[in-house]
Order: sequence, then C-alpha cells, then structure tokens
Amino acid sequence: MGKKISFILNGVKREVYVEPNELLLNVLREKMGLTGTKYGCGIGECGACTVLLNGNPVLSCLTLAMDVDGKELVTIEGLAQEELQIIQRTFLEEGAVQCGFCTPGIIIMAKSLLKNKTNPTEEEIREYLKGNLCRCTGYVNIVKSIKRAAGKACKKC
Amino acid sequence: MTETREVTAERGPFFFKRELGKEEGEYKLVGREIERPDAFSKIMGLTKFTADRLTEDVCFGKIVRSKYPHALIKRVIVDEALQIKGVLAVITAKDVPGENQIGYAIPDQPLLADKKVRYIGEPIAIVVAENEYAAEKGVEAVKVEYDPLPAVFDPLEALKPEAPKVHEKGNVALTTIIRKGDVEKGFKEADVVVENIYYTQRQEHAYLEPEAAIAYPEGDGIRVVLCTQSPFLVREFVSRVTGYSQSKIKVIGAPAGGAFGGKDDMGPMVASKAALAAIITKKPVAIILDKEETFVASNKRHPAIIRYKSGATKDGKLTAVEIEIIYETGAYANRSPFVLWRATVHSAGPYVVPNAKVDGKSVYTNKVFSGSFRGFGDPQIHFAAEQQMDELAEKLGIDPVEFRLRNVLKEGTRTVCNQLLEESVGMEETLKKVAEAANWKKKREELKKYRKGSKVRGIGVACAYHGISTSRGVPDWSAAAVLLNEDGTITYRSTITRLGQGSLIGHAKIVAEILDIPLEWVHIEEPDTSASPNARPTHGSRGLMTGGTAAADAALKLRRTLIKLASELLNCDEKNVKLENGKAFCALDPSNKIEFSELAKETYQRGYQPAYYGFYFVPRRYFDPETGLGVAYCVYTYIANIVEVEVDKETGEVKVLEAYTGADVGKAIDPGLIEGQMQGALAQGIGYAISEEVAFNDGKIINPNYTDYIIPTVKDVPRKVKVVIIEKPYSSTAFGAKGVAEAALIPTAPAIANAVAHATGVRVRNLPLTKEKVCFKLKEGKK
Ligand code: FES
Ligand code: FES
Repeated sequence: MGKKISFILNGVKREVYVEPNELLLNVLREKMGLTGTKYGCGIGECGACTVLLNGNPVLSCLTLAMDVDGKELVTIEGLAQEELQIIQRTFLEEGAVQCGFCTPGIIIMAKSLLKNKTNPTEEEIREYLKGNLCRCTGYVNIVKSIKRAAGKACKKC
Repeated sequence: MTETREVTAERGPFFFKRELGKEEGEYKLVGREIERPDAFSKIMGLTKFTADRLTEDVCFGKIVRSKYPHALIKRVIVDEALQIKGVLAVITAKDVPGENQIGYAIPDQPLLADKKVRYIGEPIAIVVAENEYAAEKGVEAVKVEYDPLPAVFDPLEALKPEAPKVHEKGNVALTTIIRKGDVEKGFKEADVVVENIYYTQRQEHAYLEPEAAIAYPEGDGIRVVLCTQSPFLVREFVSRVTGYSQSKIKVIGAPAGGAFGGKDDMGPMVASKAALAAIITKKPVAIILDKEETFVASNKRHPAIIRYKSGATKDGKLTAVEIEIIYETGAYANRSPFVLWRATVHSAGPYVVPNAKVDGKSVYTNKVFSGSFRGFGDPQIHFAAEQQMDELAEKLGIDPVEFRLRNVLKEGTRTVCNQLLEESVGMEETLKKVAEAANWKKKREELKKYRKGSKVRGIGVACAYHGISTSRGVPDWSAAAVLLNEDGTITYRSTITRLGQGSLIGHAKIVAEILDIPLEWVHIEEPDTSASPNARPTHGSRGLMTGGTAAADAALKLRRTLIKLASELLNCDEKNVKLENGKAFCALDPSNKIEFSELAKETYQRGYQPAYYGFYFVPRRYFDPETGLGVAYCVYTYIANIVEVEVDKETGEVKVLEAYTGADVGKAIDPGLIEGQMQGALAQGIGYAISEEVAFNDGKIINPNYTDYIIPTVKDVPRKVKVVIIEKPYSSTAFGAKGVAEAALIPTAPAIANAVAHATGVRVRNLPLTKEKVCFKLKEGKK
C-alpha cells in the first residue's frame, strides 16, 4: 500500500500511495497514466525523463516519488494545457522532432532555460542541454528552435 | 542459376507531370517542406510508443541470459523461480511449440539457446510474472548449469584452424567475391600503388527507446504491438516460432523511438518471445528491455578488417583495386549475407575501376551478433576506400576533390561489379556542389596557416554511394492501400513503419499530391499486418522510395476512377477533367465543378470502386554471385561530405567544426525531412568516427551505458552544418525519389579521417579516432 503523498500535478492536486523505494518516473507513467515522460536509460544519463519540480528540472528516474510530497510538478502533458508554448511552436516549425522520444525532456529543459535566461547564447543553450541525448536529429534543429524561441516574450515559455 | 525476369517501369518525374497535367513547380506538396503532421502529438507527449501502452492486465516477461561467451548448457533449473509469488511460467527451448529458430538468412540462431550458448547475454529462458519485480526475481532464481568451452573473440584468431568452433560448420559464415578484369595488369599500369589495412569497430545503435513488444492472446490468434521496422517480418517469425498460421497473427507497428536498423533485427526476436509467453500463459505479456540489456544483447554494426590495395596512373585514373574484407558477425550470421555482399559490391567506392579482385569473409566469434545498422556494411568499406583515394591523390600531387572527380561514376559508366549505370547518377554534381558550398579550394589552402601551436585545423572530403532496396536481384516489392471514405477523406495504409524518419508522411504527401487534396485529408493508419498489404521492411533506405511508389500506384488508380466518375457527373470529356484543391472541374468551363466530398459520395452511390491496393515491384536484373558481376542494385544514392576539424595535438582530441553534407536523392519529396535525416546521420557518423566503440573484456561488454559508451551530445556536434540536396530523378519511382537516410552516414568517418590527416599529416586507419589513437599516431609520426 505504501504511504500517501499529495502534490500538484500539472496544476491539479493529486494524491497517491507510493512505496518508499518507488521512483517518480514509474509513478507518473504507471499510476498517473502520464506516459509523455520517457524511460530512456533509468540511470540519469539521457534526460528523457526530465520533469519540472517546483519549477526546476529534475530527472524523474533518479527522484524518489516520496520526495515530491507537498511540491508542484509539471510534466510535458502539463506544459501546454491552454495554448502551445513558444518553444513547442518553434519545435514544430523548425522540424526539431524526429522520433520524438527525447522531445518531452528537451522541451522541459528548454522551457526551464528560457525561464531563467530570456536570451541565452548558442553556447549557453548547448551547455544547458548537454545532458539530454538525441540520437536522431544531430541537434541542429533543436538548437535552432530554442534560439528562435529565445528573445521572444518568454514569460510563457 | 535462375533467370530473373526483367522488369522496368516508367514512373519517374515525366510520367507524373504528364499524368497529373502539371509542371513540377506547380506541385503543392511534393518538393515542398511542410510541418510534420506527427510532430504535434510528440511535442505534447501524447504519442504512444510501445511501452506507453501497458495496461493493468499486462504481465511481464524478463529474459534469463547466458553468463558465458561459449558453453554447453547442461541443465536449466526453474523450480525455485516458479515458487516466487507472481511468477506464472518459465519458458525454455523445449516449450517452443514451433521452430526454435530465428536465423535471418542462415538457420544458425535459436530463439532460446538449448544445447549451447555462443555469447554473453544470449537468451536462455523467459520468466513471465504478474509484475516486473517478480519477473526480475524469477530471472535471478533460474539456475543454469554450464559446461564452459574455450571461446574465440578475435576474427583473425577465429580463422585459424585450431580455433574453437563457434558453429559446427566452422567459423566462416559466408564468403563473397568479385573478379573483374585483370588486377595484375591493372597494377602494372599504375604509376602509384597504395596498400593499407583498416580497422573499424562495433557501433551500438543507442536509440533512446529500448526494444519493446506486447503480445495479446486474441480469440484463436495473437496480436503483437511493437517498435519494429517490418511488421510482416515479425509476423513471419512469430508464426515460425509459435506454429500459428500467419493469418492468425496480427502485428501492429508502434512508433519507434529511433531504430537505425537495430529494431529491424531485434523486432522479430523480442516479438517472438512476447508472443510465446502470451500463448503459454494465455495472458497479455510485455517484454521491454532495459537499457543495459539493449547494449548487451542487441545486434551491432559489424567490426571490420580491410586490406586495401589500389593503384592509379599519374594522370589520376584508378587502374585496379585488390581488397580483402573481413566482417566479424559475432555469434550468429543474422543479416551478414546481405551486409557483406553490400560491402563487397560497394568496395571500390563511387568510382570507375576497370580491374578488381575482392574477397569477403564473414567470421563467427563468441560475441554478440552483428547486424543491420544505418549504412549496412557500407560505412566500413568506405572508411577504407575513401582514405585510399586521399592517399593516392597525395602521392600524385592532385587535389583530393579533383582526383575524385576524375574517377567518379557517371551515367554510362560501370561500377566495380560491371553494372552499367543508365540513369540517376549524381555523384559528380553532388561532390562539386558540396565542394562549392564548403569553399573547398580556398579552405584547403587557408587552413595550412593553422599549423602552429597545439591546435591545428584541416579539411577533408569523402564520397560514398549506397544501393537502394535489396541487392543482387533478390526480389523486392512494396504495397499500400488507399481508401476513399464517403466524406472525401482518405484512409492510407502501409506497413512501412514510423521510426522518426517520416517515410509515411512522404507517402501521404504523394497521395495528396496525386489527388490534389489537402494533406490533412489523408489519414495515416497505424501499420497493421491484418489491414494492410505487405509494404516489406523499412530498411535499405527503401521506405519512401518503394513504399511511396506503391502509394502512388494506389492513388493513381483512385485518381483515374475519380476522373472517370467526374467526367460522367460533369458531362465533360475525361481528358478535360481536372482534380484541383479538393475539387473536380471541367477545364473547358471551370464553373462546372464538384466538391471532392460529393465525388466521394457518388463513388459509392454509382458503384465505382473506392479503395485500391498499390504495388511496386523493384526493377531487377541478373547478378552472378560466382563472379560478383551483374546488377547489384536497381539504383544508388550518391553522397559527399566535407568537414573541417580541429585537432588538439597535446590531447589528441578531434573536433568537427563545420560540416557540409550533400546527396543526390533523386527527387526530394520533402526537403525538410531529408535535411533532418542528413543532419542526424552526420551526428551518428561523427560518433562513429570519434567516440563510439563497444568495448569487451573476455566477451563481456564493459560499457553498456551512455556514460561509458559515448554518443555525441549537443556540445559535440559542429556549430555549422550545411545540407545540399541534388536531384537526379530515377525513372522507376514516384516523382523520381530515391532513399537517403543511410547513405548520409557513410562518408562522415572517412571525411573526418581525411581532415585529420590534412591537419596533422598523420593518418589514423583505425576507428574510432580517439584521443589516445590520435596522440599515439602523432608521436609515431614525429619519429
Ligand atoms: S531515463 Fe532518466 S535520465 Fe534517462
Ligand atoms: S528525435 Fe529521436 S531521440 Fe531525439
């Protein structure tokens, strides 16, 4: 049965029972039905499982579910509930998506970057994203998308 | 030897212009870049990959794997595992109802090892449990008793007579050959001769999504959902293993989180295990590999040892090549017959070589099996061929681009297999355009200034070609289905799969272009063997070329029906009926028109056929495997890379600063998708060239994760990447399209090696160009 935790998930208060050793990634995917957050490696190497915890990116495969008790969590599904965010728009326009497996994690990271820094340089973008692997795109259009999203009215990024 | 039927078809750009009554510039979708229709659900996190489809009732299968590289299996003891709460079954070879055989071309590979294991990580048993945790516990509890055998890990060792035999027949899985002209004479005519040995490594696909399959027992049949490159191949294997007839097996191709060939080979293997588990337990069963398993047990790019001798005259003409190729296939042959033949028939590179002697061997060792990987045997051989070209050029004092241009294949010339190239040969133009984009001549001179200090720069070039579809007259075809719904929308079906490359988007564009309707009206169904004809595999860069041509065939049939119907409805001669922007009208009086939805309704009301299958049979001709001469592939894609590198002479680090990649793609159905493929291939090629290598210790992989197996991050790719698209249409396919996804990777590693040589004056003939190797070479060079 485990312990009951409660947290805000994509703007909605949720409660769930978790085991002490249960990982946030599994809770999101299996108990919350939010499969947009991906298992790419399970050991913190690829970034596909990135979510925002109290506004900061964390790797959900390395985060214990217990630790989100009382906190606020945003997953890719929660990012654009009303309208598409600029970063998602530019991803579409620049063709930054191929298989799409890395995409949720990278969009979450990009959003977090642009929140902290409205106009990052290309090297700052690359530095920030270096933990997110993509095997399909060669990153060319991903970097292009983020560059284009940067500088725009990014309160909503 | 069987005589093969000669099949030619006229479908290229002229055919389509005539058929659609349009100039190319008037096309609305073909040739234009669009926003990918599948991207929206991906950026929203809504796309359902295989592992995203788990439901409460699905059980888990986990695999018991060999701990020895080579051993006899004495006993598999399962009792203890069966005691674990939640464990439903432990399946071993003896439980396989059909054939325990999943060899692709040579029947040498069991689904579950029974008598013997041949590599560490080989599947021995499947533990099925109600939950993942119990399945994992079960795997730990299965005891396998082994009788270890001496193992062989090196292909050259494996070729020695006293080597342990991986398979009873010996360690040579197969051989290939080309005998063309007279090489002795050819080398006599040469003014310079260069001979070297090249080594290439095992590369891991390292796609982000691990292999996964879910099998559901359904009625008297079974449904399997998985990430695969070929749903019909999966069906064939599931049928073979389970004994179920193919008609009772339904395979759904879920979107894959990257595939690159790996999921072509792994799909049938994972699916067969899940299907077996589902049949035996009568429950839905998922098999999802974890990342380490993917690294340890999935097929890899063949490591190669290539001895390469080539000669040229002082006016810069190649006279002969003599090549010995050894491709290590690991424990099983898998796709080796196709990979090795592909390497063999491309072994001279995209050049005219009058005399050739080529001998290929595929060799077994006690390591994980090799197999399909983007480029499929061509990256290795071009790594050798393209460095040879540079060395010859250097000896002759000719610029490397110029030297290549003097030898490139053109229309009317013959390949190393003596295949006459009749059309769609864009090597010369591609190389010229890429050199122009890179400002080659100027850069090549200018960079010589960067020779002082510890960081030096150089620029290098490499070309490649890559045959599309299957080789050597092996029959290949594709199929598709187009259904006109009563509201005027189209249901499109194909079993070409979604790997991120976007082939099906290309198909949909072709269908929409032919019917002249908005792309949104074409709905792409999930690939499903029970609902679609066999489009054959999504490999060999054939997904768009063959699958798209089948789509065009179906759409053209529907188009002709609609024109006939519109002629009747509009009282207008068929030749004056135009389909445009979702309407049909009479050219003589454009106000005399009918909406597409109306046309659709009338199709049914008036008894016209609303659905069509489309087929495409790839042109093929005679190839003689005894001499290696004949038509190896129906058509080739040509590609060139130019890269600028910086080499740190202190650390040996190689950085690619700029890259120019160009390809002759026949016709770009979507330039955006092509660019995406070429940019991605470039990054994978850079990884192959510089950092990626599966490492072993006594047959055990010691870097089965992204920390130790290093693929390029966003920081490791060049800041400037320029893609050049050349179009030399092919007359047999829809709008003249060829494939590009694989070809793009092939010249990257040799271009980098050539650039490093330009920068440093030393040549590394051993992939990857790690810091250690470069440093070592630099020191050696100084001596
Ligand atoms: S799955 Fe969490 S970092 Fe890879
Ligand atoms: S798009 Fe496939 S991993 Fe990034």
